[in-house]
Amino acid sequence: TNQSVTQVTVVNIEGMTCNSCVQSIEGVISQKPGVKSICVSLVNHNGTIKYDPLLTCPEDLKSAIEDMGFDASLSAKTE
Amino acid sequence: MPKHEFSIDMTCEGCSNSVTHVLNKLRDVQFEIDLPNKRVCIDSEHRVDTLLATLKKTGKSISYLGEK
Repeated sequence: TNQSVTQVTVVNIEGMTCNSCVQSIEGVISQKPGVKSICVSLVNHNGTIKYDPLLTCPEDLKSAIEDMGFDASLSAKTE
Repeated sequence: MPKHEFSIDMTCEGCSNSVTHVLNKLRDVQFEIDLPNKRVCIDSEHRVDTLLATLKKTGKSISYLGEK
């Protein structure tokens, strides 16, 4: 019963222009319940997030990034 | 309307855009962002606490400098 599941989602993020933007996003999102790890790529304009599906979902993660003032959308290949 | 000045650790256009976005969502605020000096001046009836909480959403380090 202790087993936790990990899923991965890729969120497209627009509006990041420097490393400081990347760090802000990684800092805030990694604090969210259910988020196990996040890796944001400035070059690819996206963030790859590993999360526990019992605690959060891609929609949640997307709106958390939007709350920070960036444009976020879910990657089509994430289902 | 009271004018509040904040210092925010912004380093680029993307940082200041993210500040613009969160402030616009709050509504009833007028503000000026001074990116080179890392300052944001906000004209609003909202409480300082509310403004601070809103700015903190950007994930940047922020300090309140006082009324202007």
